[in-house]
Amino acid sequence: MKRRIKSLEELEKLRNEIKAKKDPNKPTIAICVGSGCIALGVPEIVKALKNDITRRNLIEKVEIRETGCLGSCEEGPMAIIYPEEICYFRIKTEDASEIIEKTIIGKKIIERLLYKDPNTGRTVKNLKDIPFYKYQLRPLLEKNALFDPKKIEDYIAQGGYSALTKCLFKMKPEDIISEIKTSNLRGRGGGGFPTGTKWQTTKEAPEDPKYVIVNCDEGDPGAFMDRALMEGNPHSILEGLIIGAIAIGSQQGFIYVREEYPLALENISLAVRQAEGLGFLGKNILGSEFSFNVRIHRGAGAFVSGESSALMTAIEGKVGEPRPKYVHTAVKGIWNRPSCLNNVETWANVPLIILNGAKWFRGIGTKGSSGTKIFSLVGKVKNTGLVEVPMGITLQDLVYKIGGGIKEDKEFKAIQTGGPSGGFIPKKYLKLPVDFDELDKIGSMMGSGGMVVMDEDTCMVDVAKYFVDFLLEESCGKCIPCRDGLKVLSSILDDICRGGGKKEDTQIINDLSETIKEASLCALGSTAANPVLTSLEYFKDEWEQHIKEKKCPAKACKALINYYIEPKKCQACLLCLKECPVNAIHGDKDQVHWIEQEKCTKCGACYDICNFNAVERISGRPVPPLPPNGTKPIRKKGK
Amino acid sequence: MVLLKCRHCDYKWDYEGIKEHYATCPNCRYKVRITTEQVDELHKRKMDLKIKNRYAVKNRPFKLKGIAGIVDGFVKEYNYDESMLIQILLKLQENFKWLPKEMLIELSKQLKVPLSQVYQAATFYKSFTVAPRGRHLIRVCMGTSCKVRGSQLILDILESSLGVKNNETTSDGRFTIETVNCIGCCALGPVITVDDEYHGNLKSFDIERILSKYK
Amino acid sequence: MVNSITIEIDGKKIKVKEGITILEAANQLNIDIPNLCHHEELEPFGACRICSVEIERKGRTRIVAACCYPIEEGLKVKTRSEKIDRIRKAILELAAVTSGENVTGEMRSLASEYNADLSKFASRITFKPTKCILCGLCVRRCTEATWDSVIGFVGRGVERQIVEFPEKKDICAVCTYCHDVCPTGRIKSTGADPSFPSLDDVLAGRE
Repeated sequence: MKRRIKSLEELEKLRNEIKAKKDPNKPTIAICVGSGCIALGVPEIVKALKNDITRRNLIEKVEIRETGCLGSCEEGPMAIIYPEEICYFRIKTEDASEIIEKTIIGKKIIERLLYKDPNTGRTVKNLKDIPFYKYQLRPLLEKNALFDPKKIEDYIAQGGYSALTKCLFKMKPEDIISEIKTSNLRGRGGGGFPTGTKWQTTKEAPEDPKYVIVNCDEGDPGAFMDRALMEGNPHSILEGLIIGAIAIGSQQGFIYVREEYPLALENISLAVRQAEGLGFLGKNILGSEFSFNVRIHRGAGAFVSGESSALMTAIEGKVGEPRPKYVHTAVKGIWNRPSCLNNVETWANVPLIILNGAKWFRGIGTKGSSGTKIFSLVGKVKNTGLVEVPMGITLQDLVYKIGGGIKEDKEFKAIQTGGPSGGFIPKKYLKLPVDFDELDKIGSMMGSGGMVVMDEDTCMVDVAKYFVDFLLEESCGKCIPCRDGLKVLSSILDDICRGGGKKEDTQIINDLSETIKEASLCALGSTAANPVLTSLEYFKDEWEQHIKEKKCPAKACKALINYYIEPKKCQACLLCLKECPVNAIHGDKDQVHWIEQEKCTKCGACYDICNFNAVERISGRPVPPLPPNGTKPIRKKGK
Repeated sequence: MVLLKCRHCDYKWDYEGIKEHYATCPNCRYKVRITTEQVDELHKRKMDLKIKNRYAVKNRPFKLKGIAGIVDGFVKEYNYDESMLIQILLKLQENFKWLPKEMLIELSKQLKVPLSQVYQAATFYKSFTVAPRGRHLIRVCMGTSCKVRGSQLILDILESSLGVKNNETTSDGRFTIETVNCIGCCALGPVITVDDEYHGNLKSFDIERILSKYK
Repeated sequence: MVNSITIEIDGKKIKVKEGITILEAANQLNIDIPNLCHHEELEPFGACRICSVEIERKGRTRIVAACCYPIEEGLKVKTRSEKIDRIRKAILELAAVTSGENVTGEMRSLASEYNADLSKFASRITFKPTKCILCGLCVRRCTEATWDSVIGFVGRGVERQIVEFPEKKDICAVCTYCHDVCPTGRIKSTGADPSFPSLDDVLAGRE
């Protein structure tokens, strides 16, 4: 299969040939090998499965498919067994041979690996009945389970590149642009700019040559949607890019991948090489008159380079600093030529719209925002992972129905959307729908899709300080308001968290935020003040307690809390004594333990490890006096 | 290399510099706009000169040795294209684990970019270091989700058990600790990577076991 | 074929050729917009943001930097108002965080015009003030003069500073270009008495 395909008929012939070789009833184990599951030790599980199959001489009869991200990261490593579509979660290396023996050969289900509903206690067998997946609508992510991203034959067999043939041979470039415009696809990178309008502006700009760019520099902490798409389905992004190039009239494309995603880089490089080998890229694609080439650029560890004008400067070979964007980059971009930049998810939606029609896309979601969106639901929820839902779903459904509620059933405090450019949303706004325009009204924004849930143990002043420190480190430092303004903000917040807050600090913060918002050069600076402003507005009482009473209600700011072992609860088990990294706990087998406050670094290791809840965190009042020497512990009965 | 005409004093001269939007008239010191066609012409002539020089390099009777030879290999791989400066620096960093000063000066000479641009790129991005690092690189993720799930505790334990702070190397050259802003495994926080191996869902007692695997 | 378009600055209408920025158009009317990182012989940089003005276009008002914004038909510009004065004062006070309060030259005269208190955030400074606001004029001027630059930027964000490259020291022509354009008076002279820290010292941690 190494020859270039030269016509539409050849492609269809190849597709039928590959399909004929595949048996839809062949037992298949689709196991996720994305970066997240690799962190949980999946390579050993895959090795164990393969060894077992070899041992039983079943290599021809059973297929092990290594796929991209399947969505449910909290319950990983997970696998789906076809053709029955049984889902197994929390698989360990020891379970590998049991899965082959019982489920593949014996066709029996292993109960303990199934999903267990925490409310009813019943186990659920199929994917579509599990509450995490039941409320989702997944046109983009469900494809991840169907093929191996390193094999282009799988993608072709599932109908891949048929949107490309439709655009090459049956549609004119103006028809493609009008189809995208009718579907109301908006940029998924956070800006929400209508994609069809951007394509049209680039096409109509007078200069040549034109460029198309894929932006996979996902710097937002807490968001990993682009990584999952790039690792799991790189060919769909490539197909969308080629369709965009046909519509705009461009011959050269760039894919910018950040350096922290090595597996995504590997998969997309392999996909480009395979596509070039088969004739989907290069000169005279599929025998038509259209030629197109793609070059891959690696990032080097800068969040600011993800901004569109900074990315174009980085592709030119210079340092990735933003430029003033008063003339759109669609008119003057790389080397002052028209360049169209879109996010990975936007490009991945394009083949679906071409195949299913703009009306189908418009029918999902709300009036202003059509289609589905992938969110990364992370933080303190029970079911973390990637969810794909139609636009317009309420935050309450996201957190409680799909997320399953707060971890350990604690109290919900806030949800942070949109990365460092967004804001905090308190409990009273949970009923709001999520789309491009609704969250702007309360000071936040949907952004690229990161949703971090916080519970009662998170201190809102501490998290606001975290965001300001993050932006201070990642700022390029070119303009005065962002560089120096964030420096002053960080210094003020640091003082507040250490107990040195003054009354006039909130007024200074509000005044400075106006300058930072209005006068900064790029979007990083102008949205830098959002986390601090929303935290001040919705959680004012926490700020007052920090400034006036020097107390941290969530007990998270290290300088304002102390750790104390309650003598009545301590069982003298010596566990915390051994665990303390600075040896600040003293005591003995028959003597209650106590913490030496001068040595304590407030790391919290003793709090985590105590099984009897004897370690307490106190804030806002002085530490009680130590128990007298030789106090014996009060032993609990029956232990 | 390209003929420019000043619209204030009508002076014409052959411009050879590196700017791409405006140039300064040597006669009256006013700003003169460079059009996109002239920029293309400039690039084309520079590329022709480079190709001419490349043949001169190919016919050189000796091979370049030492740092010049190492840099020459990578620059040749990327076709002497100055817009690939950052990609070449990434390859150099991967192969040698740091960027010594002599390498940057040599790169500036061979790729024909100003030294200030090379240094600015090498100190702007976090992946590049101009000082040597330990044998194993520990990166602790400090993204929002990992922080909310307790990555600060992991960083504190690493710092106290290895005796160094963030961005420092242990005295025996074994480990270097670095923080990174979001690796992308947000659902499994806190996450660290040691030499490109990921370890997720960490608790405080896992650290000792993980560190002992690396000599 | 450059067209002429009509724009309005502070209530005065003016007919100008296409392709210039608001700052250049205001200079033609002798309206003074303050700036610290702009020079008429260099490309616009947009770093200091003191030239921020309020524009009104299609019914929406925005604050933009006058040195970079290209003029277009029907543009209405306001160069002084309460909000703009507040922002300019705040920017000068913020610039003093990096440079300290002992500045001379253009920045000192702007500070007295806008009543900026340069020591307002003095308690937040944690390192020795350098008298430099990182406007970049000296680096850009040096690149013009030598086509290879003796000095340059290193670092990112708060660690950004201007250093001198010891390897390029001998191409310094003592042309006084950098000394002429510095708006804070940091560069005392060129040649024998070095005004910039050397890159070797900065990397070794001595500065």
